[in-house]
Amino acid sequence: MTAGLVVEGASYRYAGAAERSLRNVSLELAPGRVIGVAGANESGKSTLCLLAAGLAPAVIGGRLEGSVRIDGVETTAIPPHGLAQQCGLLFQNAATQLSNTAATVFEEVAFGPCNLGLPVPEVIERVWWALRAVGVEEIAPRDPARLSGGQGQLVALASVLALRPRYLILDEPTSELDPAGTRLVAETLARIARETGAGILLVEHKMDVLARIADEVVVLAEGSVTLSGPAAAVLADPRLAELGVEPPAGVRLERAVREAGLEWSTALAEAIE
Amino acid sequence: MTNTTAMAEASQAESSVLPDFVRRIPVRPYLALHPVTKATLAMVGAIVAFGVRGWTGPAVVFVAVVVSGAVAGVLRRTLPFALATIPLVASILVVNTFLYPNAKDAIVTVGPLTPTWTGATAALQATLRVVAFGLSAAVFALTTPIDDLLVELERRGLGRRGAFVVGSALGSVPRTVERAREVTDAQRARGMDTEGGLPRRFRGLVPLVGPVVFGALAEVEERTMALEARGFTAPGRRTLLRKLPDSRPQRLARWALLVGSICLVAVSLAGAVKLP
Amino acid sequence: MDLLKRWVARQFTTRVIVMMPIAIAINIVLGYTVQSVLKLPIYVDSIGTILVGVLAGPLAGALTGILSNLIWQYAPGIGSGSSIGPFAVTAGVIGFLAGIWGYLGVFRSRPASGLGLIVPAGIAVAVIGVLAARMYTIPNYSDPNNGYPGWVYGAIVVIGIVAAVAVAGFIFVRRDAAGAWVAVAGAVTGIVAAVISAPIVAYVYEGVTGSGTDLIVAVFRRGGADVYNASLGQGLFSDPIDKTITSFVVFLILGRISVRVLARFPLGERLVGRVADGESQPPDAG
Repeated sequence: MTAGLVVEGASYRYAGAAERSLRNVSLELAPGRVIGVAGANESGKSTLCLLAAGLAPAVIGGRLEGSVRIDGVETTAIPPHGLAQQCGLLFQNAATQLSNTAATVFEEVAFGPCNLGLPVPEVIERVWWALRAVGVEEIAPRDPARLSGGQGQLVALASVLALRPRYLILDEPTSELDPAGTRLVAETLARIARETGAGILLVEHKMDVLARIADEVVVLAEGSVTLSGPAAAVLADPRLAELGVEPPAGVRLERAVREAGLEWSTALAEAIE
Repeated sequence: MTNTTAMAEASQAESSVLPDFVRRIPVRPYLALHPVTKATLAMVGAIVAFGVRGWTGPAVVFVAVVVSGAVAGVLRRTLPFALATIPLVASILVVNTFLYPNAKDAIVTVGPLTPTWTGATAALQATLRVVAFGLSAAVFALTTPIDDLLVELERRGLGRRGAFVVGSALGSVPRTVERAREVTDAQRARGMDTEGGLPRRFRGLVPLVGPVVFGALAEVEERTMALEARGFTAPGRRTLLRKLPDSRPQRLARWALLVGSICLVAVSLAGAVKLP
Repeated sequence: MDLLKRWVARQFTTRVIVMMPIAIAINIVLGYTVQSVLKLPIYVDSIGTILVGVLAGPLAGALTGILSNLIWQYAPGIGSGSSIGPFAVTAGVIGFLAGIWGYLGVFRSRPASGLGLIVPAGIAVAVIGVLAARMYTIPNYSDPNNGYPGWVYGAIVVIGIVAAVAVAGFIFVRRDAAGAWVAVAGAVTGIVAAVISAPIVAYVYEGVTGSGTDLIVAVFRRGGADVYNASLGQGLFSDPIDKTITSFVVFLILGRISVRVLARFPLGERLVGRVADGESQPPDAG
């Protein structure tokens, strides 16, 4: 059995849509690695997330050509609750991901494991583990409906982690967070990849996050892959801007410095990290 | 992560114990009753208040509800619920006292208006019924967190989807109220009338429906995917973390009350026993 | 038995389970706003129920209606005023009927022109005329002891004309023959709702419910009708109007939802017609 989340030559068209949202996309996510996905709006990034997690076409219909495999098994052959345990998916809007039926953050995070019918001690253990992994164990007794946007997103992340997926797919998780929260989530994700060996597919608008934690970066434009490769190389690629992606701060600073005719040293790059 | 060893030890200790803020077992009298018991009491209250003709039924329910409310310490909080019945009560009193058909025993005749004793009696009885029912519902709502009831119903076979629909609906109502309030405030700032004549109020309705409905519907897709992504459709029984204490006397009492109240209503409807 | 189980399961997909609480909230909030804040003499508390019924099926619709009433009754915060719980039966029937309309494709858009518009408009006007005429002559409204205030009859005529014009206008302006079907479905739903509610209102509430419609009941009782007949009279006035308006609102809402989203609901294909070839539909469990 080959480990890894493999998207191979995948094209996807939503049910009732005239055009394909993704054309011939391929990528390979190995356990423990972080792949960043960038691109302008409507470039197919969210569709790619749904595809990789197996929700498309299983839950939302539509037409898939090509293959999406998790650890060697086609996603179309795995039922949704099985997919949930292998591939955790996190959306932008924290509020819609909360079940709305839990009185405390603890029970919210327990929602997933309870759905799977796990015994109570195991549920409790997983919940504390997930809360700690994300760093929100202090708010375990709080009401999930009363959390700030950032806290809600972290709780949603913990809820997904509680299912112990081998792969995590996140669609712009830091979009509603302030810089401190963004850094926290980024570091948490990197740590999770390192310590649990989970493979992470991260769609982001904030290139600084990808610069910090991504091993590889893939850039989408109009549903196709235009750039892909090691993070540092792709993020420094001069074509990023015309693809609608703003390069990370470090890259922009380096270009500005060089254009001004000054010396650039990697010590400068590290200083702004 | 700092202090890994301390945390590992702590995790050993808490690993298999449900935290208190999750267990949430009430200890106060009446509140400590099993949620299904409290629900049964509310149902029986409704059945007797409306089903048994005459004064006795509603009066007994009223007294029982006031007593249980006092014991549970929520009596003061039932006041808003009681006040909320005023529009209904006013309608009942006015319409029945003045317009009870075929009633000839007028209290007084003032011009075209002829209030009648028959009408007034019927009105007061109906009022007592409505207030008793309203208070019964209020005491139930105030003493029974919906979580408790849903968990125990699910334990008895409700199913995760039923529990989700009810629980989520209750959570959605405040959110939708907020959205509606925002829309009406915005409309009012633009001149919509909530107090004016009928045609103006009708016109105020139209711009309200759209945003409230579409705003709510927009979430359906993402929520569906989020539920699937959390394993909601997994087969088998869902794990229930919480458990409320039940007892044999309570179980017997529930059956007795339910069966007894239905029999009482049947008997009263059949006219076999005439209660005042 | 197995067939029944599958029919039930098909109506309660995850999407429907997600939709129901939202529909319930819509029912409660709009109903509360219209009845208590705007104090209009209509209910508008069934939009969610009919929406779920048409999209998912009779059982889902019925359950949405029933739960809306029970939750409204017991939900803290909205101040139910204790006059809604017992109508769970009516709401259930409304939802069930909506599911039947869903199966029959009543709410499907039927673009047409010329004769294709005139015939349905004519049928709708005729149906409204028949209903108005029936209401005009209904024995509940007359009583040997007291005559009827004349303006009630006038009101029936006026409302009948306004309704006929509105429905016909809708059909022609939107060039959509479905308007006739929606109007008839709404009227039928309203009549059924009135017939089922009358005994509830009469027996439980002595004829009044604390809403704007009580004035109508008062009028009927002044005419000499007893509680049950007064309630029925009021119901046959308010309910068909309210349910027809609600049905048109649901029709407009459905028109604004994209085809690709509609197709994902159990009865979605009856709303959009044929599904394009080669596409996978969401499985029943999804």
